[in-house]
Amino acid sequence: MTDLSQSLTISSDGLRLQSQRLRHVSENVANADTPGYQRKLLSVKTTAFSLSDTQGPQAGRVILDQTPVQEIYDPAHPLADASGHYRGSNVDLVIEIADARAAQRAYEANLKMFQQAREMSGSLLELLRK
Amino acid sequence: MDISSVFATQKFSAAKEILTPVAEPDVPKEALSKVQSFADALKATEETAVSAMAGQTDTAALVQAIAQTELAVETVVTVRDKVVQAYQEILRMPI
Repeated sequence: MTDLSQSLTISSDGLRLQSQRLRHVSENVANADTPGYQRKLLSVKTTAFSLSDTQGPQAGRVILDQTPVQEIYDPAHPLADASGHYRGSNVDLVIEIADARAAQRAYEANLKMFQQAREMSGSLLELLRK
Repeated sequence: MDISSVFATQKFSAAKEILTPVAEPDVPKEALSKVQSFADALKATEETAVSAMAGQTDTAALVQAIAQTELAVETVVTVRDKVVQAYQEILRMPI
């Protein structure tokens, strides 16, 4: 029973990580037009895994994408320099969509594992009930 | 007649000691600690629910806590049912 309840904990850690990832993705999408915005990436904390103890993934530090920001030509923009360009964000919406979809799939996978653990413990108890 | 009534009284007083319920049933220490951890799990879930309602905990933590408590409660209920069933089985035993 402890194994099943541990897998519940681990799955919920995974759910938390993926929802945080989606939060950063939506932040990136929302700030796609913000001048000078660098997209945020969520790193997963690396821990020394030992075989005996179990643990789910933990969110590490948020890092900024160092890709150079786009130079957008718009002479009417208040931030435009002498050549008429201003610094936009380095958000690529295609990458963000792919990232969001990856987060969604990983979330679904964790949900399935959660459901599976519940079903297994439920049917184990069902055995005792008869 | 007198002799048999005295005899019955003697038998009754002898049986009384056995029939008197023990005031303090000796519950094993492990069972007590299990009950304690069960109560702790319930308490932790209640706290998680309260902080989730206040918006301090995310929903995943609440769902996990509730699922774990559900598991614990179901286990306890199933074991209790089994014990009660065994007790009733004994009661139905022909004497």
